Amino acid sequence: MTAVLLENVSRAFGATLAVDRVNLKVEAGEFLTLLGPSGCGKTTTLRMIAGLEQNTTGRITIGNTVVSDADRSIFVAAERRRLGMVFQSYAIWPHMTVFDNVAYPLRIRRRPADEIKQRVMRTLDLVEMQKYAERPAPALSGGQQQRVAIARALVFEPEVLLLDEPLSNLDARLRTQTGDEFRKLQKRLGITSLYVTHDQEEAMALSDRVVVMEGGKILQVGSPEEIYQRPGSRSVAAFFGSPNLLDAEVTASQPADAGYFRLDVAGRNWRGHCQAASRISPGTRVGVLVRPECIALTARDATADADSIRWDGRVKEMIFRGSRRSIAVETAAQVLRVEAPSQQPVAVGDSVTLTTSARTAWAIES
Amino acid sequence: MSEQTAGRLAVRRDEGTHMLDRLRALLRGRNLAVLALILLLAFLTVYPLSMLLYGSLHSTPPGTAGSFNLEGYRQIMTAHNAVVLLNTIGISFAKTIPSLVVAIFLAWIIARTDTPCRGVLEVMITLPFFVPPILTAMAWGMLGNLQVGLINQTWKAITGSETSPINVYSYGGVIWHMSQYTTTFLFLFLVDAFRAMDPALEEASRMCGASRWTTFRKITLFLLLPVLTSGVMLSFIRGIESFESPLFFGTPAGIKVISTEIYDLITQRAVPEYQSATALSFVILGLMLLLVVWQWTVLRGKSFQTVTGKGFNPGVVRLGAWRWATFAFCLLFFFVTTVLPVGQLAVGSFFQFFGFYGWDMLTLDHYRAVLGDSEFWRATRNTMMLGLVGATATMVLGSIVAYISIRTTWRGRRLIDAMAWLPWMMPGIVLAIGFLWGFAMLPAQIPIYGTVWALFLAYLALGTPVSVRVMSGAYAQLSFDLEECSRVHGATFFQTLTRILVALAWPAFAVGWVLAFFGIMRELSASIMLYTTGSEVLSVVLVKRWVNGLAEEVSVIGLMMMALVIVFRWVQLAVIKRRISTL
Repeated sequence: MTAVLLENVSRAFGATLAVDRVNLKVEAGEFLTLLGPSGCGKTTTLRMIAGLEQNTTGRITIGNTVVSDADRSIFVAAERRRLGMVFQSYAIWPHMTVFDNVAYPLRIRRRPADEIKQRVMRTLDLVEMQKYAERPAPALSGGQQQRVAIARALVFEPEVLLLDEPLSNLDARLRTQTGDEFRKLQKRLGITSLYVTHDQEEAMALSDRVVVMEGGKILQVGSPEEIYQRPGSRSVAAFFGSPNLLDAEVTASQPADAGYFRLDVAGRNWRGHCQAASRISPGTRVGVLVRPECIALTARDATADADSIRWDGRVKEMIFRGSRRSIAVETAAQVLRVEAPSQQPVAVGDSVTLTTSARTAWAIES
Repeated sequence: MSEQTAGRLAVRRDEGTHMLDRLRALLRGRNLAVLALILLLAFLTVYPLSMLLYGSLHSTPPGTAGSFNLEGYRQIMTAHNAVVLLNTIGISFAKTIPSLVVAIFLAWIIARTDTPCRGVLEVMITLPFFVPPILTAMAWGMLGNLQVGLINQTWKAITGSETSPINVYSYGGVIWHMSQYTTTFLFLFLVDAFRAMDPALEEASRMCGASRWTTFRKITLFLLLPVLTSGVMLSFIRGIESFESPLFFGTPAGIKVISTEIYDLITQRAVPEYQSATALSFVILGLMLLLVVWQWTVLRGKSFQTVTGKGFNPGVVRLGAWRWATFAFCLLFFFVTTVLPVGQLAVGSFFQFFGFYGWDMLTLDHYRAVLGDSEFWRATRNTMMLGLVGATATMVLGSIVAYISIRTTWRGRRLIDAMAWLPWMMPGIVLAIGFLWGFAMLPAQIPIYGTVWALFLAYLALGTPVSVRVMSGAYAQLSFDLEECSRVHGATFFQTLTRILVALAWPAFAVGWVLAFFGIMRELSASIMLYTTGSEVLSVVLVKRWVNGLAEEVSVIGLMMMALVIVFRWVQLAVIKRRISTL
């Protein structure tokens, strides 16, 4: 079942197009993340779904109801869309207690007092904030405010939950912890969630599917693994970490398992195999993506098996990061970045051999 | 670079034998400076206050033989004064409520709707704040005159009726005149609060299913509550000490408030009743003290941090066709509070007699009369001189007091802060009586009374609480790091003060300066007690002519003052605002 459907949705602010003809289908119960750099249109998209921003073209459907259609001048106000939303600043009302904040949506809906009490306490229990119910809102820490904001968004059991960078105001440790807890809660309740973030690790850790946006357009939609390992374009590849992209020419192409294609590629002073999303005719130039953590670093002259790509080079830079080492190796092809285990003994100036499995190398058409 | 090196060298030279001596000298110098400041502030605030107390307990004016008694307090315990007290409180209350409603509406229109030309409208709406109330009072005195007022004449001409609908010499007139200023004042208070509010707080309410109106009632108003409360209290306090409105519209109708009653006791009796007047001054001081304490207790810890860094435009409501209605409402407000009174002054200045408007009555005689009058020129000179020097002195004093109380840990800083704040609860007329006594008690070698310096000192005392507040706000926003960073990079204390603090705080200084200047230009209640022939200011000249029935010449002078106000306001908007935004 489709929970939210966006068809050709755009939003113009004066002459600038913040969101440019976006099409998106969110399945019920799914955790979908809109990911992109600031100014990419992800927040505007979320606000259009919320009804806080009006789309200039296109149609938005929530459940079975068209909530906004620019052509037919349909626009359902935010308060009548029955959505829950968590704001970046949490927007906890400072003149109310925790209980009053969470009870607000129910009071607006004129529920009886005992039902309000019961449901608010149950929801507060869900986010482990029950014992803070009578606290005035300004006396909460950032993490606690965040939980209250989630409780307030969940208390009236909305069909869809919208979250606008809810973790960005927390410190790094709390962010991971709260994110994991929220993901567990979301799975347990099975609530459709639309999540906006600019943090790629957050997006990958939480989502069922990730929507990568740039310049108001959707670049790619897919599972975190897909987006990370098999990006459709250089921009998507470059958005996650700092990958190695090697120029190469396709020499052969044949179907492989799982609908992918196996390419023979030749680069400057190297050749090998890699995978691609489609058949690419020989002679085409492609970028071969090799993630730094997929490269194995060994002493020079170690033999490599036939299904690997191999480069020889010298260590140019080495940074010890505790859990790993970031190494830059000068090879005949280009400088390659490698993430190696931290206990591997390696020093600047060492002659080394780099190998990677052909299954982890991915071709992107330029 | 070379200066830094020089600074370092200087520091090095100081080290060794001279250093201890220098340190000791500096400490002594600082203590001396603090002591001098304390003495100055004591003279400006504590001295007149204690003279007031002396006057209320002493049977005769200072310098004459008399005895100490409680006669003054006994005399003011009358039914008449009970009515005066009730009037004072009642009028303050009655003018605050409608002003508040209109101010909230106007602030909402300007900050939160897509009404056209909001920028221009905002400037127009805030103009009455800068117009001296004495000008609008006189203009409304003419506009709302029962027999020949323009409004009543127009009404009669249109309806053919014989009765005049409007009489400004009434409770309604007093309240009406006070409200114009109060509305603008509250508007200035509220509009920034409306703007600074995190829109997510309201959006969250709408996502919870509340309509715009419910959100406004349950969220917006409550978030504004701290600002509203302090605005209402300030309005109430200003209402208690208000002088012009009750003097012009209340006194002719027999409606007295405390400030006009004090004025009457001293100026309108065969023998001035000083003791009662000073005793009554203490009543109003007590009332103000109660209000201020109340303000503290209510507002303590009640300011919500609703401002966040996220740069969304606060949710602007699209009004559709209604935006022309809100536009018209703002225009109407401007028309009633500014165009009507200024128009009346303009009309009044060109006709032979106020109230009789015919082509054959047009004349420039009043301009000739005013421009040929030495008293007018003297008053203009005095006003401008007092404005320029007074505003500068007020801001310098305020900057120093604010710096010591906010940025240092020097001994005596709390005392300095408290003394500078004291005039906050002293209405101009009360402070002036205190000074009157104070100057009379000074040895004959210090002849302050009867000179413009008497007015200068009163303005300085009255303006300091505001200037301290403005500068404290500016300093508080500057992080200590900026100052410390400058010191670490080799600047001395005074280099840091001038290059970093003054450079960063000067926009606030400029804003405060203009406020102080306007404050001096509008001041009437202290001036009217302290002036003598030779030290008149424009507001006093206006009252004198008004009392003598020269409404036409009043119009001429009023119009000139109005032009001055508009020029200064324009300079403030055009120059200072631009500088601030580029900083």
